[in-house]
Amino acid sequence: MMWNGVSTVMTKSTSKLVCDAGPIIHLDELNCLHLLTDFQKIILSNIVCEEIKMYRPLALKRQNLSFTKLSQKIPPDETIQTICRIFSLDAGETEALALMQKNPQAIFLTDDAAARLVAKQMRFKVHGTIGIIIRSVRRGQNEPEEVLKILSNLPIKSTLHIKASLLNKIIIKIKNEFDL
Amino acid sequence: MKTIHTEVPELLYKKAEALVKEGWFRDEKEIFSEAIRRFLDTHQSKLMDNFIRDDVEWGLHGND
Repeated sequence: MMWNGVSTVMTKSTSKLVCDAGPIIHLDELNCLHLLTDFQKIILSNIVCEEIKMYRPLALKRQNLSFTKLSQKIPPDETIQTICRIFSLDAGETEALALMQKNPQAIFLTDDAAARLVAKQMRFKVHGTIGIIIRSVRRGQNEPEEVLKILSNLPIKSTLHIKASLLNKIIIKIKNEFDL
Repeated sequence: MKTIHTEVPELLYKKAEALVKEGWFRDEKEIFSEAIRRFLDTHQSKLMDNFIRDDVEWGLHGND
């Protein structure tokens, strides 16, 4: 990878991901699903797989991307179940959080604010689509200009909810960060 | 009270209808109001804003 005249070779991240359906769907809409190849393992629960298949049937069949799909259901413990009910999390989010309990070192990937709030309270590392896209520069997967293009197209190409003023601020921040 | 007209997926409506038939709610309107209230409680603008800003920082300067 070349950027600012500096050549870097990146080794794969050691982090594992536990994914909710949202970021997989949004990254696929943006043709950015390949950015997840940087992670050691991408774990999807049974229900999350079904949700993805419903909205983006081809997303889980993309080449060069291997998901660890769990076929059996992960029963959440009583605490998770109660918290998830209080925060009105859906079955996929609840199962993903149960998976996080079994993989506490993993990063939980979700774009849902309520799921994210619960994950943070449970002290899990949690990020979303925007983070993965911007991280791709740091990880040598994209040039900053490419990331700016993806972010600019986000309102047209994806179903991710983000207010325009915040997206503009992010674009300006990235431009400043990389002297563009 | 404000009246709104909107479309909901058939399956979602049927589920709401079933809860009303079972006697858990007076009508579908009550279910949709409660659902929106709960959604808005956990999707406050400031919260979503902060999460995205966290993501930007992680994306730029994180270590994993």
